[in-house]
Amino acid sequence: MVLAWSAVASPAIAADIDVQVRGTDGAPVVGAVVSVHLAGRPTPRPHPVGTYMIDQQNIQFHPFVSAVPVGASVMFMNHDPVHHHVYSFSPAKKFELKLGSRQQNQSVLFDKPGVVPLGCNIHDRMIAYLDVVDTPWAKTADASGHVLLRDVPAGAVTISVWHPYLRAPGNSVSRTVMLNEAGAHSERFVTPMRAPPHDPGSGY
Amino acid sequence: MQFGRPFGFRQLRTRLAVLYAGLFAAGMLLVAGLLYGAVVHNSKVQVRQELIANGTVFDRLWDQQTSQLRAAAGLLARDFGFRAAVATNDRNTVESALINLRRRVGLRTAFIVDIGGNVIGLTDQRQMQDASALSTKLDEGVTAGVANLGGQAHKIVAAPIMAPALTGWVVFATELDQREMRALERMSAIPLTAAVYMRRSDGSWSSADADARIADPSVSRFIEANWSHGQPDDIKGAGAIALAKPLPVVAGAPPAVLLLQYPMRLALNPYRPLEIAIAVIGIFGLGVVVLATWRMARSITLPISLLDAAAGKLADGQLASVPVSSQDELGRLAATFNRMSSDIVEREKRITHLAFSDLLTGLPNRANFNQHLDHQLRIVERRGGRVALLCMDLDDFKGVNDTLGHPTGDELLRRIAARLSEELGDIFVARLGGDEFVMVKAFADDTTAIDDLARRALTAIEGPIHINEHVLETKASIGIAIAPADGSNNDALLRSAELALYKAKEAGRGTYRFFEEPMNALAQARRSIEVDLRHALANGELELHYQPLFHLGADRVGGFEALLRWNHPKRGSVPPVEFIPIAEETGLIVQIGAWVIQEACRQATQWPEHVRVAVNVSSVQFRRPGLSHVVLQALQNSGLKPDRLEIEITESIFLERSDSTLQLLHTLRGLGVRIALDDFGTGYSSLSYLQGFPFDKLKIDRSFVMPLLARPGAAAIVKAIIELADALGMETTAEGVEEPGQLAILKRHGATSIQGFLFSKPVPALEASQLIKSKFKLHAA
Repeated sequence: MVLAWSAVASPAIAADIDVQVRGTDGAPVVGAVVSVHLAGRPTPRPHPVGTYMIDQQNIQFHPFVSAVPVGASVMFMNHDPVHHHVYSFSPAKKFELKLGSRQQNQSVLFDKPGVVPLGCNIHDRMIAYLDVVDTPWAKTADASGHVLLRDVPAGAVTISVWHPYLRAPGNSVSRTVMLNEAGAHSERFVTPMRAPPHDPGSGY
Repeated sequence: MQFGRPFGFRQLRTRLAVLYAGLFAAGMLLVAGLLYGAVVHNSKVQVRQELIANGTVFDRLWDQQTSQLRAAAGLLARDFGFRAAVATNDRNTVESALINLRRRVGLRTAFIVDIGGNVIGLTDQRQMQDASALSTKLDEGVTAGVANLGGQAHKIVAAPIMAPALTGWVVFATELDQREMRALERMSAIPLTAAVYMRRSDGSWSSADADARIADPSVSRFIEANWSHGQPDDIKGAGAIALAKPLPVVAGAPPAVLLLQYPMRLALNPYRPLEIAIAVIGIFGLGVVVLATWRMARSITLPISLLDAAAGKLADGQLASVPVSSQDELGRLAATFNRMSSDIVEREKRITHLAFSDLLTGLPNRANFNQHLDHQLRIVERRGGRVALLCMDLDDFKGVNDTLGHPTGDELLRRIAARLSEELGDIFVARLGGDEFVMVKAFADDTTAIDDLARRALTAIEGPIHINEHVLETKASIGIAIAPADGSNNDALLRSAELALYKAKEAGRGTYRFFEEPMNALAQARRSIEVDLRHALANGELELHYQPLFHLGADRVGGFEALLRWNHPKRGSVPPVEFIPIAEETGLIVQIGAWVIQEACRQATQWPEHVRVAVNVSSVQFRRPGLSHVVLQALQNSGLKPDRLEIEITESIFLERSDSTLQLLHTLRGLGVRIALDDFGTGYSSLSYLQGFPFDKLKIDRSFVMPLLARPGAAAIVKAIIELADALGMETTAEGVEEPGQLAILKRHGATSIQGFLFSKPVPALEASQLIKSKFKLHAA
């Protein structure tokens, strides 16, 4: 599922940034959240557009990682025939949703930036991450580990990559680059990754 | 007895006992050793199995405890409220929840450490530090195992707190302390000891409790060598079997082992009664063996000891015998020994008998006599009293031997001996040799007893003795000496007795005489003659006189008989009858005789050719070797023609060894020397001598010549002798012619020559030469 939102006003001069994220083993890091902040100048607030959804299907959250702009409401939709008890203790957003079976859904407003791990109190193995970003330029990497961000104003920008398994402080790496006035810009991130826990929630 | 060098037992018995006891003891020790080895091996195997089993039990317990704790920790870690409290950093709630949990599970230590290393639920600063450090290790994935908390080894189990991502761990820790170990020990079927050790950086091991004692070096070495493979083994030097079981540790923590120890002493405890039983049986058995061996050895060695003692006795010359108590080798040995012993004693008796008996008569011999007399003299010397020695000599025994032969003489001696033994009863009688008997009798002081004894002895041998067809009447003379007066030792006493015997003989035969001192003086004189005679020759005191033999046919001196004279420097002229016997007895006659032959030959060379010289040769000279050599030497030295030398012998030279005598006579004859038979007609000689050897001359003894005028029959004998000599081609010389009447008869009967005072007495050499020159006119009546 693809979440999309559009930038508000675009400045006169802008560039496209193509970021590729791979693990040190060469595998694309699917779902890695790539976000761009303007360096040395304020980053404009993003404006949520449309509906953001996180589905519960087959006792799993989908998608595993999502990125939403601050102020977005995310709809949690239960497709399973069982109840789910979605929660998060994250500082960015604490909430609990008790979702009945079959198509029950509820929306939650995420009004602070930060990573919000999502769990289900009934099913320990269910886990998902929602990155609430305070920039208009953020996206999760596709199956080939690519992210294309358009219309980023030229100048110095900081490109951040976040993934729950990324082995780095805050599970995040960032790099500041100069964008040319025009044309496409591409960046490549190669980062060490943790192995995903085999059966999160069952312990050892 | 000398037995084995290393021990040198004096008794075979001890040796046997020690040998068998030693063998038994060695056997017992071997059995006990093997048994002990088997027991030890067995118990080791058992203990090892037990240790392995306990190790397995421990593993299971450990796992069980781990999963229980993990379950409890997991339960808490997943509690929504608890997670909410942790995630929202609600410290109070979390701590209260931990306290609640400790109570519920019964744990002393339960805490939370988050991924940032923050610890909740601990108060001890050191424990908090260790716990904080734990977070990174837990993050690496090992969430159960041994870890160090504040210096004390703990078993920890951690459960992750997923909220929903990993935010930290609930950690349960149980101290691996004494209490825990004792609990573990109680689970075991055998009384083993359990302890946890942790490896130090230097490779040694220390106990995992708060003391952190460094393990005993042997234990430390054992763990270091065995902890990785976890097989039970002996702890060298600690007398224990142990199993070092590696414990899972939280990653990065030092290695830890659970050491299960089992002292061998305890393992062997169940076998203690068996060991005691073996020891008791061994000691008892040893006692029995020693006792049995001692007894058996006695049965073997008693006969040997008896043999040993008996052999010692036998060696000392006593008759010894041992009881024959068995049929075996020892029994046979004893029997053989007894036979040997009695044989030896028997043989010794016989040897003694032979050594101390006279073979001919069976009487004690000279050696025996010497011993006996010596013994008696010693008694006299010590206790007083007197001993009589009777020396008896048969009268004319020589005659018996000469006329009747030695076998008859021997038989006579045997009969005499038998008579003496019979008659004298317990008186000591011995035969010293020849016809010489001695009797020894101790007495108090009355010599009449000795008179009586002498008479009895003389009477005993009187009376006719029938030997073959002969009837012999024997008489004897006895000389008696009495100790200590007549001599205090054997030789002196015997000499005195012999002197007395000599006197008895002189006094007429068939009688006895006691020794008297003058006899001894005579003997002294004899001895001094003997001494002086030894020097006489060298000192030139000897001289030859010559008595002419007048040849009747040629009417002139036909020869001289050389006669020895001794001019003693002090005594003057010593008569030959005094010194010739002594010279013969001492053997000096050989030396003197040689000189006589030399001197006579030398002298004869001064005389005309027809004059011979006659030299008397003693039977002693005949017995000694070298006579023919002396004669040859004398002839060569003087250059005298051999037929001018005439050797005069008497019949006595035939008394012994007549074969060799004849041979010597032939040798002399071979030299060309003439041989004359002196003193013919006296003695016991028979005519067979004349047949046996062709004498050149017979000298008719003076005992036939002297009675010629007095007794009518005498002339007949002389006539017969001369005719006999003529018939055999021998010359005759009549000795002792002193009367012209005698000369006339001799002349008439045809004697070759005469010798006697009628013509001349013996004269010195100088006068002899003049005698030859003188013209004589002999007047025959």
